[in-house]
Amino acid sequence: MRAIRRLVIRMRSLFTNERQEAELEREIAGHLSFLEDEFRSQGMSAEDARLAARRAYGGVDQVKQMHREERAFQGMARLTMDLRYAWRQLRQSPGFALMAVLMLALGIGATTTIFSIVEGVLLRPLPFPEPGRLMMLGDVLEGSNCAFCSQPRVTATDVRNYMRDSHSFTHLGGYQEVAYELSGNGEPLAIDAARMSGETFAALGTQPLLGRVFTQAEDDQNAPLAVLSYGLWQTRFHGDAGVLGKKILLARKPYTVIGVMPRDFAFPLIQGRLDQSQLWVPMSPEPWEFAAGSAASWRMRMVGRLAPGVTPEQAQQDAERVAQATMRDYPAFMSSLRIRAVVKPLREDTVNGARPLLRTLFFAVVVVQLIACANLAGLLLVRSIGRRREIAVRMALGARAGALLRQAVVESMLLSLAGGVLGLMLAWMALRVGVSLLPETLPRLQEIGLDWQVAIFALAVAVLTGFVCGLAPAFAAIRTSVNETLKQGGRTGTAGGGHTRLRTILVVGEIAVAMVLLTASGLLLRSFEKMREVDPGFQPDHTLAALYVLPLMHYATQDGIDRFNDQLLEQLRALPAVKAVGISSMLPSAGNSIGVSVIPDGYVSAKSEGLHMVAPSMVLGDPFAALGIRMLRGRAFTDADKAGAPLVAIVNHKFAEHYWPGQDPVGKRIRRGMPETVSPWMTVVGEVDDVKLGAADDKTMEQFYQPATQLVASEGALASAGELDADDGWIVVRSAVPPRQMEDALRSVVQRIDPQLPLYQMQALQDVVAESEAPRRFNTTLITSFALAALLLSVLGIYSVIAFSVAARRQELAIRVALGCRRTRILRLVLTSGLKVALAGCALGVLGAAAASQLLRSFLFGVSPFDPLVLGLSALGMLSVAFLASALPAKRAALVDPLLAVRSE
Amino acid sequence: MPSKDKNSMQLLQGTLDLIILRTLSAMGPRHAYQISTRLQQVSDSLLQLNQGTLYPALVRLEQYGWIKGSWGMTENNREAKFYAITKAGEKALAEEKARWRQMAGLVERVLLEEH
Repeated sequence: MRAIRRLVIRMRSLFTNERQEAELEREIAGHLSFLEDEFRSQGMSAEDARLAARRAYGGVDQVKQMHREERAFQGMARLTMDLRYAWRQLRQSPGFALMAVLMLALGIGATTTIFSIVEGVLLRPLPFPEPGRLMMLGDVLEGSNCAFCSQPRVTATDVRNYMRDSHSFTHLGGYQEVAYELSGNGEPLAIDAARMSGETFAALGTQPLLGRVFTQAEDDQNAPLAVLSYGLWQTRFHGDAGVLGKKILLARKPYTVIGVMPRDFAFPLIQGRLDQSQLWVPMSPEPWEFAAGSAASWRMRMVGRLAPGVTPEQAQQDAERVAQATMRDYPAFMSSLRIRAVVKPLREDTVNGARPLLRTLFFAVVVVQLIACANLAGLLLVRSIGRRREIAVRMALGARAGALLRQAVVESMLLSLAGGVLGLMLAWMALRVGVSLLPETLPRLQEIGLDWQVAIFALAVAVLTGFVCGLAPAFAAIRTSVNETLKQGGRTGTAGGGHTRLRTILVVGEIAVAMVLLTASGLLLRSFEKMREVDPGFQPDHTLAALYVLPLMHYATQDGIDRFNDQLLEQLRALPAVKAVGISSMLPSAGNSIGVSVIPDGYVSAKSEGLHMVAPSMVLGDPFAALGIRMLRGRAFTDADKAGAPLVAIVNHKFAEHYWPGQDPVGKRIRRGMPETVSPWMTVVGEVDDVKLGAADDKTMEQFYQPATQLVASEGALASAGELDADDGWIVVRSAVPPRQMEDALRSVVQRIDPQLPLYQMQALQDVVAESEAPRRFNTTLITSFALAALLLSVLGIYSVIAFSVAARRQELAIRVALGCRRTRILRLVLTSGLKVALAGCALGVLGAAAASQLLRSFLFGVSPFDPLVLGLSALGMLSVAFLASALPAKRAALVDPLLAVRSE
Repeated sequence: MPSKDKNSMQLLQGTLDLIILRTLSAMGPRHAYQISTRLQQVSDSLLQLNQGTLYPALVRLEQYGWIKGSWGMTENNREAKFYAITKAGEKALAEEKARWRQMAGLVERVLLEEH
C-alpha cells in the first residue's frame, strides 16, 4: 500500500514539478535564514553568517537534486529528456539512423522469418494434448538392415499382443496407412487413409469437430465406420453437417460416416509430406493378418499415451516382456527371428530427422544476427568519432560523464529497438508472403507463424548490442582528454587510431562469418549438384507413373485380377507413341521400398550378418524397358514366366556382388524367408543395374525382381490362405511424347477396363525424382537464404563503414586534391582500404568455414568440406561485393570539392 | 548523489526516519531547521550531517503519509513549513521502535557472544 501511494505521488509530481520546485526553494530559503539568525546571534557579521549558514546547510543545488530525486521517478523524467535529446541527435543525421535501423531490421527480420518457417514446419509441438506423454511403440528386428527400419514397426500380432498385455499406457493402439478408392457419391476418388485401432483416437486425445470417433469395441466388432478429415469433408462433402450417418464406399465396401476431425488434426504425421490421411477407419484386422507371411510382416505402427507416473523406460521394459512372449509363440517358419521392443517419444519420431538441420540453422541465425550487430557497432563507432568533438565541448561546459554515457546508451538503444520493431514487422510480412510461396508438400504449413522465442532472442541481442556499442564509443570519447580533442579541431575523422582499428576488426569479423555461411551454402549447392549428377540407374524422362489398387470386393479371384492386368498391359501397349509398358510394385525414387529377408543359395553368412534384407519388386510386362533400367546379364522376364511356370528372379548388381562376388549370378538360386522357412527356390535369370529407390543421395539397396504372378508360389509357407497376386502396382508407361500428354490416354484405358477404378498419384517420373530431391533442396535453400542475408548485411556493413569514414575524411581528401593529388589516386586509396579489409575477412572466413565444416558434414554429398572450388568462389564473391560496396564511397571521395579544404574553419 | 562526509557517523538505513518521527511525536509540529537542531542536540553533535540531507527524508515520510507539512509562521514572524506526525506516522513509529529494539537486542547479543 505504502509503495503504491508513494508511486502515485511520484508519478503526479512528474507533472507538478514547478509548484514543488517553488515550494522547495521557499523552504530552503527559510532554513538558511534560520541558520543565519543563529550564526548572527553568536556574534558573526551578516556576511559571515550567510556563508556559515551555507556551509552548514551543504550544497544547495545538491540538496535540491537529492530532493527531486527522492520526489520523482527521476529516472523516468531523465529518460524522457534523454529520449528527446537522442531523437534530436538522430534527426540531425538521418542517413546514419536510417542505415542502422534498416540493418538491424534486415538482420532481425531475416533470421526471425527463416527460423519461424523452420520451426513451424519441423519443431512445433505435436498438435495433441500433453504430447510429451505420447510414445511410439514398435519392434527392432535384430539383424535387419536398418535402412528399412528407421521407424519402429509392428505386425498385426504385435498390435494385438501389446494392446492386450502391456500395462504402461492409458491408451495404446495400432495404425496403418492405406490407399482407398472412395466412391458412393460422385466420381471415384483415390484417397490416403489410415486404419486405426479404436484406442488410437483415445491415445491422441483430440476431440472430433463433428459427431464422434469409433471405439475399441466397434473396432473389435469390425464395424464399418469412417471418420473424415476436415479437408476431405470440405472438398468432397462441401462442409455439409448432414454428412454424419451417410454411407460411403471404400474399396467398394459400404462404411458409415460418424465424425469429422478438426482442421489441424493430422495423423499419422508424415515428415515432409502434406498428403496426410484424409479418412480413418477401424483397424478391424482380418484373421489372415495373424497368419503366415503377415505374421512376419512389420507394416503397422503403434502409438500410446503413457499412464500417469510411468516413465518411458518402464514402458519399454513392460513392452519388452510382451515382445519376449510374442517371440516364444512364433510359428516354426519364423522361429529364428528376434525382436526387441522400443518405446520412444512420438515427437522424436517426427522431428528427429530435423535435428542436424536445426543445429545448423541455429548457427546460421546466430551468424546473421552477429553480422547485423557488428554493423550497428561499426556504425556507432564511426559516429562516435565524428561526435568526439561535440562530447568534448559538452564536457568542457561541465556536462557530467555519467549523463553523457547515459545519453549515448539511450540513443543506441533507441536505434536498436526501432530496428528490432521494424525487423519484427518485416518478419511478419515476409511470413505472410512466404507461406503462400512455400511448396505445398511441407507439412503443417498453416501453423507457421512468428516464432516469438527467436524474435525475442533477436531483439535481445539487438538491444544488448545497442547498449554495449553505445557505451563503448562514449567511454572512449570521455577517456580522451578534452583538451586534446578540442585542439585537434575539425580533423577528428582521421585521428583516433583505436577506433579505426576496432571498426576494421568488426568489419573483418563480419566478412569472416558471412564467408562461413557463404561457403556452407556453396557446399550445399555443390552437394545438390552432385546429387543430380548421380546415375540413378533408370531414365526418368518420358515416363508416366500411376498407382492402382484393385478393390478386393470386385477382384476376389486371381483370374479376375490377371484378366485386368493382361488387358491393361495389352491396351496400353497398343496406344500410339507408347514405347514400353510395365507394372511394378516399386517405383524408383519414390522411397516406397520395403525390405524382405531372402536366402541366397550357396552363400555362407558370417555369424554377425543377421538377416539378408533386400528390396523386392513384383513386376509385370516390361518394367525394365519402361523405366530405362539397364540389363547387365541374362534376360528380362517374358510372358512365359507366369504362375505355374518355374520360379524366376532377376537380381541387381549390388545383390550379385554381395552374395556371388565375381561370379555370373545367372543360374544361381534364391528363396524368400529365413533359413527355417519352407519356401521354394527361384532361379536367377538376369542381372540389372542398381536403381536408386529413394533419393539419389540415399544408399543403394540390394534388390531382386520377380514376376508378380509368381509371388504367392514363391512365398511358400509365408503365403496366407487366399492371398492374391498382382492386385496393385505402379503402372509405368514410356512414350515418345511428353508424359503429360499420356495422362488422359492412360486414364481412359483404365476406365475402359474398370469404369470405377481410380488412379493414385499420377505423375511424370521426373517429378517423382524431383520430389525425392526436395529435402536436400529445402536445406540448401534455407542455408542459402541465410547466406544471402549475411552477404547483404556485410555488404551494407562494408559500405557504411567506408562511406562514413570517407565522409569524415572529406576535408583531408579535399586538401589532398587541392595539393594536386590525382582523383584516380584517391579512388584507388579508398578502394584499396575496402579490399584490404575484405581480404583479411576472407582469410579468416576460410578458417572459420573449416571449423564449421563438422556441423555441415552430415548434409554434404560427394563434396569435401574443404572443396577448393567452393572456397575460392565464395572468397571471390565476397571480394567482389566488397569491391562494389567500396566503389560508391570511393567515387564520392574522388569527386570531393577541393574548395572544401578552404571553406570550413 | 549525496556526497558522504567521512568524519560524520553514518546513519543506519531508516534510522533517520525513526529519529524524525520520534522528535515530531515527542515535541509536536516542527519545521526542518528545528528538527535538524534537535538532531544535533540528541546526537551530541556526533551526527555532523549537512542540514540539507534532511529534506529527502522529509519528502519520503510525507509521501508515506507519516508526516504532514503545512506552512505557518514562527514566533519571530518568519514563514516556515511545519511538519506534524500523522496517525499513520504514530503507528509506524511504534512499529519501527519495536523493530529497532529487536534489532539492537539481537546485535547486542551477538556482540556479547564474541567475548
